[in-house]
Amino acid sequence: MTAAIQVNQISFGYGPQKPVLRQIDFAVEPGTFLAVAGPNGAGKSTLIQIMAGILRPQSGAVLLEGRNLHSYGVREQAQRIALVRQEFVPAFGFSVIETVLMARTPYYGQWGFESQEDRDLVAKALELTDTARFASRALGSLSSGERQRVFIARALAQNTPILLLDEPTSFLDLKYQAGIYDLLKSIQADMAVTVIAVTHDINLASQYCDEALLLYPLTEDSSGSTDGSGPGRPAQFRIGRTAEIFAPEEIQRAFGVHVFSGRVGTERFILPLGARAKDANPPTLRT
Amino acid sequence: MAKWWLLAAATTLWMAGGYALVRSPAPERVAGPRSSARARIVSLAPNLTEILFALGLEANVVGVTQHSDYPPAAQNKPKVGTFWQPSIEAVIATRPDLVVTEAFEQQRDLARRLQRIGYRSLVVEVETIDSLFRAIATIGDATGVSLQANALCANMEMEIARVRAHTHPRRAPKVLWVVQREPLRVAGRDTFINEMIELAGGENAIGPTLHVYPAIGAEQVIAAKADVIIEPAMLPGTVDQQHRQALSYWSRFENVPAVTAGRIYVIDGDVVSRLSPRLPEGIRTIARCLRPSEFRE
Amino acid sequence: MQPLTPRILLFRTVVATVLLLAIMLACALVGPQDISLKAAVSGPRDGATPGLDYEILMRVRIPRVLLAAMVGAALASSGVVFQALLRNPLADPYILGISSGAGLGAILAVIGGLSWTLWGRSPIAVFAFLGALGTVWLVWGIGRITGKYQVTGLLLAGVVVNAFFSAMIMFLVSIAKGQQLYATIFWLMGNMAEEDLFVLWVGGGSILAGLVALFFLGPQLNIISVGHQDARSIGVPVERVELAAFAISAFITAVAVSLSGLIGFVGLIVPHAVRLLFGPDHRQLLPLSGLAGAMFLVVADTIARMVVAPAQLPVGVVTAMIGGPFFLFLLIRHSRKVYWPT
Repeated sequence: MTAAIQVNQISFGYGPQKPVLRQIDFAVEPGTFLAVAGPNGAGKSTLIQIMAGILRPQSGAVLLEGRNLHSYGVREQAQRIALVRQEFVPAFGFSVIETVLMARTPYYGQWGFESQEDRDLVAKALELTDTARFASRALGSLSSGERQRVFIARALAQNTPILLLDEPTSFLDLKYQAGIYDLLKSIQADMAVTVIAVTHDINLASQYCDEALLLYPLTEDSSGSTDGSGPGRPAQFRIGRTAEIFAPEEIQRAFGVHVFSGRVGTERFILPLGARAKDANPPTLRT
Repeated sequence: MAKWWLLAAATTLWMAGGYALVRSPAPERVAGPRSSARARIVSLAPNLTEILFALGLEANVVGVTQHSDYPPAAQNKPKVGTFWQPSIEAVIATRPDLVVTEAFEQQRDLARRLQRIGYRSLVVEVETIDSLFRAIATIGDATGVSLQANALCANMEMEIARVRAHTHPRRAPKVLWVVQREPLRVAGRDTFINEMIELAGGENAIGPTLHVYPAIGAEQVIAAKADVIIEPAMLPGTVDQQHRQALSYWSRFENVPAVTAGRIYVIDGDVVSRLSPRLPEGIRTIARCLRPSEFRE
Repeated sequence: MQPLTPRILLFRTVVATVLLLAIMLACALVGPQDISLKAAVSGPRDGATPGLDYEILMRVRIPRVLLAAMVGAALASSGVVFQALLRNPLADPYILGISSGAGLGAILAVIGGLSWTLWGRSPIAVFAFLGALGTVWLVWGIGRITGKYQVTGLLLAGVVVNAFFSAMIMFLVSIAKGQQLYATIFWLMGNMAEEDLFVLWVGGGSILAGLVALFFLGPQLNIISVGHQDARSIGVPVERVELAAFAISAFITAVAVSLSGLIGFVGLIVPHAVRLLFGPDHRQLLPLSGLAGAMFLVVADTIARMVVAPAQLPVGVVTAMIGGPFFLFLLIRHSRKVYWPT
């Protein structure tokens, strides 16, 4: 089965002295729910933006159905990849349904209006994200969680096989975090969409995602020099099933913090414990 | 993207159509003047009004601007706005055969607009004394009273010559012409006032300046060493009052010859504020300030 | 608010157009001279000399009302676009240097004493047009070099260019001779004069074409006004659309400014008011703002003509006096919605 999206030896830096990603290389099978995790500054957002075609890597390429991402036109790309970033209140007071309808802009007719098919797609997206009940309200009048779901609905209305999300739950409370991940899981399961989400929340990712990509920041140890790589240099990333990637030792090494780990059911949970935490220095590392 | 091509095509057609159809609108009126006896004339500047009256065309004038106050009969003529803001509607309402305007951009633009609508307009430049005589001649030609125009010019030249005859080749007094006291602004060398001063036998105390009516400071006043200070009165009937204020203002400049000699004059602003047939009178007024003993009247 | 449908848009546009035509006719009948429609309509008498009412109506009033309508439409519509591109409801068409560029061009023409005309039009208008366009491209170029189309880069470039050109304008004004000075200031404050049919045809055609083109960009402007990157990921060719919208708006603004001087507040408050009433969808905002801008300026010009008749106020003064308080009201209302944390 060909990969839905393939990242081939991507290297990227924001300037000659600021390398961020070095030779990232992985493939995502269609219908997978992949979590992208790692410490701050590791380059998770950068990686997602490269995969969405917003940034161009200095070397390597993103392949979509075997073709270089940048060989697709803007519209073709939008038919295959949808990106959801952190919710915000736009400068102008568009309503929920107006915002979601905007996803269909490339498909509008001659005079700039949507067709019935567009309206149906939008209705389905609203229903899936449970946002239909405030379809006529302005975005500014919603809570952050509701707004984030609207942005997801807009991405869904694009009707793409791949959905990329950049920290969709960072500032949301527990209820909304679970809600968003439930939604993403149902999108993956019911619509056979490949979902790739950058997340800070390892525990939620363990519960919902099939695979995980752990990204390490480029430091003197792992990069040494900014250009080529030597054979013995460790990779900047690890990818695999969530259970193995989110193993406590890996997490400790990647994030540089002491963790306490336990088992919920089929999956583990991980809790960072600093030196001043009440239960610091747990007696054993249980798995 | 059919709609873009459609738009481009429609726009091109529109512009081409416009160029073909409406490029040069023909004025509806016949260009020739009626006989001068019945020509209806509108004047858009007070000095142009004076010229028209001086040429004997009083009966023909059917519209003037707000401050056309000389001769007094002019005040009774219908008003068509102000010098700075003539009303094109009011002008048209007088059904003129000829509209006379001055040459600076504002009025020139109005003349063009009237021309486009189909009214005959005449633009004359009245910036210098020479141009004043030319303007009188031009207006005379346009209105069919060239004889009167020549006579008027000859008369004016004679009067001016009479004043000049009384000027002596000896040192011309230095004149500081103050148009505004606070802030202090004077008439520079590039003005018709300067020409009048020289014809009256004086010399501008201020040297050549960039500005036409420069603002000057106390230092320059002292450096200029004016022999005579002349201020035109702001408003009619305030000559005495302004003279008192002037005396008290200038008393602080103790080193200026004009102040020590007490030769500060406030004159009626009317005859020196515009270039008109009253020019000789204006020059004579100035000459009287420069050599009071010779022009006692 | 319900999403826009073609039927609603058509209905509102037709109603607004009818309203505009009615206002234009009513204002054409108002002026320093009293004229009556009946007398005017009985038309040119005897073929020899047209009746006074007809002449004033057709040769003075209607051209002027048409001019006010097209300038108002241009300014309001380009205001909508600049607000969308800069994602800021407080932007107006002059924010990126058009006003100071046009002013500089006009003043150079006045002080340079140029007297040649283009098809009978004064050189001031031509130079103002060139000045406006030249400045806008300068600002765009600077913004592109410094910020790669980022909004902040553009705004800063606009501020810098505006400041520099305004300083140059002040210098030139200080050395201007008396009547040049008056002509310049008069131009800078905005004024309407009746134009001949050719100018109205070409100017009106350009502006109308620009407005239609901007309407075609309506859906893209919607998404661009939400976010630059959102637009890209949705499949809108953002840079191309922004450049096109910017170029068209700058062009119609330059045409408007060259026809009538600098008239402020139309491009700022008309889009606001229409957005308040009808929502931010640009497919609707553009045509309705254009029509509303036309109505606003026609009425403002009529006030300017009448209030100190037979003299007239510069139109810019009237729009400022109406627009200033309205803008203040908007600011207060807007700041109440925005919570300023202490």
